[in-house]
Parts: sequence; structure tokens; C-alpha cells
Amino acid sequence: MLAALEHATGGLWPYLVVVLIGFLPTEIWRVIGVFAGRNLDESSDLMIWVRLVAAALVAGVVAKLLLAPSGALAVVPLWGRAGALAAGGLGYWLMRRSVLGGLMLGEAVLISVGLMYA
Amino acid sequence: MNVEPVSRPFWPSFVAGVGSAAGLPSLVLMASLIGVGGLTRDIGYPMFAGVLSTILIWAGPAQVLLFGSIAAGASMPAIAIAVSLSSIRFFPMVVSIVPLLRGPDVGMGKLLLGAHFVAVTSWTEGRRLLPDLPVKERFPFFIGFASMVMAAASFATGVGYHLIGALPAALAAALLFTTPMFFTLSLVAGSKTQADWAALILGFALAPLSTFVVGQDFDLLVVGLIGGSAAYLLHRTRRKG
Repeated sequence: MLAALEHATGGLWPYLVVVLIGFLPTEIWRVIGVFAGRNLDESSDLMIWVRLVAAALVAGVVAKLLLAPSGALAVVPLWGRAGALAAGGLGYWLMRRSVLGGLMLGEAVLISVGLMYA
Repeated sequence: MNVEPVSRPFWPSFVAGVGSAAGLPSLVLMASLIGVGGLTRDIGYPMFAGVLSTILIWAGPAQVLLFGSIAAGASMPAIAIAVSLSSIRFFPMVVSIVPLLRGPDVGMGKLLLGAHFVAVTSWTEGRRLLPDLPVKERFPFFIGFASMVMAAASFATGVGYHLIGALPAALAAALLFTTPMFFTLSLVAGSKTQADWAALILGFALAPLSTFVVGQDFDLLVVGLIGGSAAYLLHRTRRKG
């Protein structure tokens, strides 16, 4: 059925995929968030919990991107990816809380390891 | 007699937001989305499908997951569910930024527009910068900031589509590494309390364990609820003690 649909929509298929399989499943959380957050007090306990859940989720996404990388990142072995992340965090502190500094150091370590394996 | 301001200062605040985004935030997003442009090309999609994914999905990990799963030959319903589960973070992120965006002239439509622009970059920068602004300048500032990073990211998606094949492998890997590295530094920079640190560390540490126990699909849900709630309990005990 999917193959027939792909054929029927012709050149529009990739755009349909982006909208139906990518945009809608993501956007629904943003829309629900607006309705849920509309009447909440910024400094309420519930909001603090929500913010901490969000932080844990973002950290979880980072871990998943590192453990199961896609595309070109998979060329670099796990120890290289984890080491580069640690180096970036260390660089942030050493360069007096500079996000740019941490990012640059992390990327430099990743490229160095990548050059050994690519 | 009180004189009501007749003109809302939309554009000056919008331009200030654009200016605030023009440096590091835009560069980081560009580096992240070049890799997504490359993934779009890998599966034989047209360039504008990649650019459209940046504008509409506006979530690097979800885009990587979408195009990566298509490349791996996963079924469309399975991909839709996986993408949706990977984007659950937007619910708490939007909930916690809506109170900063709302104001007397910010209705439902504007809030939904603002929420669409929420991603890790605009969320961390929004939470950092918006509280210091007067209430009526917050919404235009946020829209200006987010429009700038989105424009830069869309441009980079198109460039990446044409460029990625010509890049050395180590550099292509570094571009895809930008998202996890920047997400981490954003969290670290935004962590002020012990509870913030606990959420960060628990989220990171629980992810592999959770994938092992509940599988690829629902692992992040478990990570967020357990990690976030444990950090919240720490917050409660600290405050009492």
C-alpha cells in the first residue's frame, strides 16, 4: 500500500514524509505544551519538576546520539565520541565557562580521533 | 491622564533578538544542520525536503532519526512513533517557556507560533535572556532570535546537501557531533542548582540502562520521568534541610 502511495504522490512523496512522519509527530508535543503551560505559574513546584524532566530528557537524547550514532559519526569509535564529549566539558570549565571554547575543544578531539580511523 | 502606548515596540525587540542570535547560536545550528542536509541526500530526497524538515520539524535529533531510519529501511509508522517519542522533551520545554512568552497582547496564535520555534538553542537562550526583558518585549525578541537561527539553519541544510560528499570523513563526523556536544554544554551552562546537575547526570547515565531494560522506543520517556523526578526529590529535600 505504501509503495502505491509513494507512486501516486510522485515527486511530492519526500515532502509528505517530512510533514506526516516528521513534523506532525514532533509538533504535537509543542502544541500540548502550550495548552498545559498557559495557566501555570513560572515559579511553581510543578514547573520546577517539568523543567528538570526536560533537562533529563535532553541529557538522554545526548547519550543516545553518542551510543547509537548515524551516518558519518559512526566512523569514530565510542571511546572517541565519549572522550571528545568529556574534553568539551572540561574545556568549558578551563576556558572560564565558555560554550564556544568547550565546543571547539570537543570538536578538535573528535576530528583528531576521526582522522585516525577514517 | 494616563496615555496608553499606541504602538507596540515589536520591531526593535525583534531586531534585538536577531542580533542576539547572529553569532554563536546561528553558527552552532548551521554546523548541526549541514549533517542533516547530507543525510537527506543519502536517501535520495530533494534538497528542499531537507530544508523543509528544518523549518517544520525544527529538531535536529528528530531529523537525524527520520532520515537515518528511512536509510535503514524502517517502516513509516514505526519511524513516526520513534520520531514522536524522541521529541517528548518539547512538552516540558514548551510548558516551561510559555510563562516567559505570554503577555497581554500574546494570544493563543502567537503562543503556538512561539512554541514551534522552541528547540534546545532557543529554549536555553530564551530561559537565560527573557527574564531580564520587559514583558512586552519578550515575545518579539524570542521570535527574532528564533527566526535568525532557523534561517541560518535552513541555509546550512541546503549547503550541506551539496557539500557533505566533498567533506573529509572526520569533518563530516565532527558536524554530526555538534548537536550532542552543544546540547551538553547548554545543559551545563544552564545548571545552577544541585537538582539541575542531578537531572543532567541522571538523564545521561540512565539512558543506556533504560534502552537495555525497556528498549529503543520508550527509553527516553523512562529517562525523563525517573531522572527528572529524582532530581526534583533532591530539590525538595535540599529546600527543607
